[in-house]
Amino acid sequence: MTKEEAAEKARKDLAKRLGINESQVSERSVADTDFPDMALGAGAADEMSGQMITRGWKIQLEASGKTYEYRADKNQLRAYKFNGKNYKI
Amino acid sequence: MNRNNFLPHIALALVLILVAAFAGQLRRWQIQMKNRARIFPTADKRREPINNIESAPYDSRDSSAPEVLVKFKPGITEDAIEKITLGLHDRVEDEIESVPGLAAIDDLDDASAESVAAQYRALPDVEYAEPVFEISADDFSPSLVTPRDPRFSEQWALANDGSRGGTKGADISATTAWSVTTGSDKVVVAVLDSGVDYTHSDLASNIWVRPNSVKPYEDKELGTIQDLHGYNAIENSADPMDDNGHGTHCAGIIGAEGGNDIGIAGVNWKVQIMPLKFMNAGGYGTTKDAVEAINYVIDRKKAGVNVRVISASWGSTQKSRALEDVIRKAYETGILFVAASGNASTNNDRNPHYPSSYNVPNVISVAALDRNDQLASFSNYGVKSVAIAAPGVDILSTWLGDEYEEKSGTSMATPVVAGVAALVAAHDPKITVDELRTRLLASVDPLNSLKGKIASGGRINAAKALQ
Repeated sequence: MTKEEAAEKARKDLAKRLGINESQVSERSVADTDFPDMALGAGAADEMSGQMITRGWKIQLEASGKTYEYRADKNQLRAYKFNGKNYKI
Repeated sequence: MNRNNFLPHIALALVLILVAAFAGQLRRWQIQMKNRARIFPTADKRREPINNIESAPYDSRDSSAPEVLVKFKPGITEDAIEKITLGLHDRVEDEIESVPGLAAIDDLDDASAESVAAQYRALPDVEYAEPVFEISADDFSPSLVTPRDPRFSEQWALANDGSRGGTKGADISATTAWSVTTGSDKVVVAVLDSGVDYTHSDLASNIWVRPNSVKPYEDKELGTIQDLHGYNAIENSADPMDDNGHGTHCAGIIGAEGGNDIGIAGVNWKVQIMPLKFMNAGGYGTTKDAVEAINYVIDRKKAGVNVRVISASWGSTQKSRALEDVIRKAYETGILFVAASGNASTNNDRNPHYPSSYNVPNVISVAALDRNDQLASFSNYGVKSVAIAAPGVDILSTWLGDEYEEKSGTSMATPVVAGVAALVAAHDPKITVDELRTRLLASVDPLNSLKGKIASGGRINAAKALQ
């Protein structure tokens, strides 16, 4: 997965979660980031991850006046603390 | 004594004294000539030291002592050997008759024995060359053993020469430890991870293979697995091949084959790595699969496999009672469980990280250090819950595709400690799991940077652990 593909996938996921049209989700920023572990610091329940610093992308999206964060690398995309919970997409 | 015999006796004694004095002078002249050669070596033959690693103790010995043992290939004549050594401004001190082609060689340059040995190793006529080490039966006299793996100089965790902004000596003293042992293929370390690339050229000969005497793995519900070299808990199969790289990296830190002229050296040059896969290609997995994999290790131990250590470079803040129970079972079976403290820069005393924070007697929680003996910026800590620290920043190790990569994390510090545990088990096969844990924690180099941060307050020192 490329950075662009991850951002696109994140937009689609957020629109679905919020029940809104994709066009109502805007991309605020996509930045290269070092995450603390291989679950990109966004481990889901019942999940263990390698404790290795992992290069990926922090994707910030905006919808209905609120900011939402996704985290991705070439292997995975995760919603970070969406309503307090992390999700593997 | 008869007066008539007195004078001849005196004369004889004088002659003997004169002969002895002349022989002594001859020896002094010999040494002086040799020292002249050391002070004024011919420019084209002067040897530059290969690296900054402190030379072994032979530097402090008699200057005429041989410094390297060189084995020339069969068919190389004495004349040819003489020619080669003269060409390098050295001389053959002695030929070891019982091993044809083996010669003790004294160099006449001001070079370390390691660099002299390296120069001989590079010759096509030489089978092997090694520095002469002092052997002491009754006291611990540290000498240094440097492997000939070409990227060893990049492995600051094992021997930090101060390059790349590091601090010389901020390492685990591996080169001193290796004068005691470089590991044993009788010790098995389970790498519980994303699997291991068991075909990697620097790992293949140190991968555990189930001996014929041990039956294939049988699980009542899961059936029989023809485990040849480990277990895949995700697929419940016998193939623990790594598709991420993380497990292969950790395995290389513990036991990349040393002295094989390939890549790097592990903390153990020789060991048996048991690959276990419970994390997927993304580098994460479930507690259920981790439990299954540990259950496999316990079963193999009970079946007679000498598993001494589980290396666990993973975790989360989620507590699992089942995971804790199976780790306790591993303790009861005599297996040490070395675990990463986590990379959230937080205090595990307040925000526990599992499995490293389980209060089970075989668990050792490991923090990460940088090349200046400072706690890594990402590393978790905890004076009650984190036991020990080890190098974990920019660690070079094996990777997928027969490659090598530098990675950072408490993931990388954990196998350093697991590796030292395996070295100790190789040196002291009867050591119990409790003794092993105590030994490791007692053999740290105390660091100011870790005071009040972790329980032992220091960085693991492999040489001290072997004393």
